[in-house]
Amino acid sequence: MDQYNEEQEKLHTDLLTLNMGPQHPATHGVLRVEIKTDSEVVAQAIPHLGYLHRCMEKHCEDVDYRGVIPYTDRLDYLASMSMEWGYSLAVEKMLGTEVPARAEYIRVIIAELQRIASHLMYFGTYAIDLGAFTPFLYAFQDREEILRLFEEISGARLLYNYVWIGGVWNDLNDEQLRRIGKFCDKMEENMKKYHALVGMNKIFRDRTANVGIISKELAYEYGATGPVLRGSGVEWDLRKNRPYGYYDKFDFDIVTGKGEMGQVGDCWDRYYVRVFEINESIKILRQALDGIEAGPIMGKVPKIIKVPEGEIYLRTECPRGELGYHLISDGGKKPYRLKVKSSCFTHTSMLPDLAPGQLIADFVATIGSIDIVLGEVDR
Amino acid sequence: MLKEITEFLNKEVAGCNATLKEAEVGDSTIFVEASSIKKVCFALKDSAEFDVNVLQAITGCDYSDRIEVSYILASFTKNIEVIVKVKLPKTGKNDLVKIESVCDVWKAANFQERETYDLLGVEFTGHPDLRRILCPYDWEGYPLRKDYEVQKVWQGLEVNPAHKINQEDHDFMTKLKLSSDNPKIVTGSWEGHVSPELLEQLNTKMASLKDASSEE
Amino acid sequence: MSTHNETTILTSNRIHEPLTLGKWFKNVWTAVSTVTKGMAITFRYVYGVKPVTIEYPEVREELPANSRSRLFNDVENCISCYQCATACPVDCIYITATRRDKEAPAIKTKDGTPIRLDLKQYTIDTALCCYCGLCTTVCPTECLTHTTDYEFAQYTLSSMKYDYLADDIKVWRDRIVKD
Repeated sequence: MDQYNEEQEKLHTDLLTLNMGPQHPATHGVLRVEIKTDSEVVAQAIPHLGYLHRCMEKHCEDVDYRGVIPYTDRLDYLASMSMEWGYSLAVEKMLGTEVPARAEYIRVIIAELQRIASHLMYFGTYAIDLGAFTPFLYAFQDREEILRLFEEISGARLLYNYVWIGGVWNDLNDEQLRRIGKFCDKMEENMKKYHALVGMNKIFRDRTANVGIISKELAYEYGATGPVLRGSGVEWDLRKNRPYGYYDKFDFDIVTGKGEMGQVGDCWDRYYVRVFEINESIKILRQALDGIEAGPIMGKVPKIIKVPEGEIYLRTECPRGELGYHLISDGGKKPYRLKVKSSCFTHTSMLPDLAPGQLIADFVATIGSIDIVLGEVDR
Repeated sequence: MLKEITEFLNKEVAGCNATLKEAEVGDSTIFVEASSIKKVCFALKDSAEFDVNVLQAITGCDYSDRIEVSYILASFTKNIEVIVKVKLPKTGKNDLVKIESVCDVWKAANFQERETYDLLGVEFTGHPDLRRILCPYDWEGYPLRKDYEVQKVWQGLEVNPAHKINQEDHDFMTKLKLSSDNPKIVTGSWEGHVSPELLEQLNTKMASLKDASSEE
Repeated sequence: MSTHNETTILTSNRIHEPLTLGKWFKNVWTAVSTVTKGMAITFRYVYGVKPVTIEYPEVREELPANSRSRLFNDVENCISCYQCATACPVDCIYITATRRDKEAPAIKTKDGTPIRLDLKQYTIDTALCCYCGLCTTVCPTECLTHTTDYEFAQYTLSSMKYDYLADDIKVWRDRIVKD
């Protein structure tokens, strides 16, 4: 018996290295995270990026200003409209183009619908991450209506190329505007149902409350933006704090995490922010539908766009956080340098700091709650 | 606001030589000395007046003689946005240029600096883990430099094989020019991307045609 | 005892409140009540909602009219202006043309634009195409259009390349484009 104990004492235990991804359903794409675990507890997590790297920034140096828009679509492919808008705004600011009022209203409508679609996608996939399958189907059923509308106006379901420099491509007709109004009513009802189904569920609450806590200081330190920052209790929304487009004309609130189920900044707070942002989007949509007026949808833009020499850094509030375009022009037909500051990239850099001490299952919940899209991370 | 920040930097950090480059279109930027970038960042972060608490991005741009690294900073409490730039002279095609890391100031700098190192070849001294992040670990060269050329072979795989980039279709115009009597009437939608041997043949043909016309 | 074994065992950093009997019963109550509420919502979908999916190969969805799918170029109306190839962000359109003889009979497109160049090559590699629609918007004679055909999977990469001067291109054109 003594001998046996001695042997056991000599037995050396080590951390186990686990490869999560690049083909793992919980990493939302092709993210690879190298996890060092001690039984179920994560000791260290190292994200390896670049599995979807297309060197988009280099490509953009070789196409003209209009040709960049299809490339920006492919950044965050779940929120293409918002990606396009940011880029178009940057070029318009440099050119000094006036965008017609109707186009501005359409842009707001489109971007808010896109935000709803993107948050619905988050809602569905996050529920799947935590083991609930049904909410995914409900979310997709509603998202389908938005995609159908986008397909009718732009011609594509996912990569629209709809927001152009100076305006938008196609006009929305009255029937489509009415449909959006009806969709808003339906969505408001549905969100109440979905929140009762998922957010208030005891299992979901236990899985997300007090998990993956991002404090206010940590969020600032890492430059977190969007719902992740608001989930940590910071009232910061570019639509309100640095309004662009027609956002200063609308009345809406900033949703922040209050720590209802646990501490401020946990996964449940980020879920809460996203779900209730849908309601705020609906508020904006209703005001935009009331305010929209007839008129042209394209401003005056030269046939061959030549941006004057200079640089601009412009950020917009996208569903996943702030997206910044740093555009440097040398006066030619093509951008000299286009840097995309993606919020998902910033959020991914938080993973090594969040992971230590978490259970693997909680780590999955954390990755899901910061809602990354690998197209934007790797660019 | 940028003027005040420039004055503040010149007062706070000795030898940072902050100059404001005002732009007619777009954003104005503040240039500082490369050697004092860390002190500048600490000064901005710690100042109560500006409270620059967020590092948005670190990025760079390659000009033929220098690389300009931009630090895009923002304050979420005071609602300020500022671009601080440094100039780093370039020495050779694939040579690294060096600057001090600001990882101690903001944790966000970690990934941003790795990206700038990966794509532009800027070495951040004092960075805890400076590896390539987007490109494969054994990739050669720095893609976002203007004089970058893609490597031919990576891990035994041919990079950009001819059949994948439609070499045949690119060569079609040149072949037609070679077969026709008067190559000048043939036009195409693009230039370049032609196989070198075909281009050589075409050049000799054009030269001979020119000679023939001048003899007449 | 464990002087040799230096590895410490990690524990989860999750906050656990001590469980009392009252809390235990409260937990059970919230679990039962919230799950029942959720079940009530899902059960409404069993009979109350029409199916939203379609059985694909038997039932085909009609795409909206301006849907951007496979490209088609009506070469008889093409004036070889190269604008589509210039606008293409991925360079997947290959065009070559020769100048038309002055003696040859003059031809015109459908809308009356004279054709001065003979088209020799018009190839689009749809494997590279990103379906952005920039080429169709710049086309002056509107000969290059997006069709609504979405079923064109192929076995090889090379068969994704469409030569619009070939004869067999008309076959699928007549099948899809109804004008």
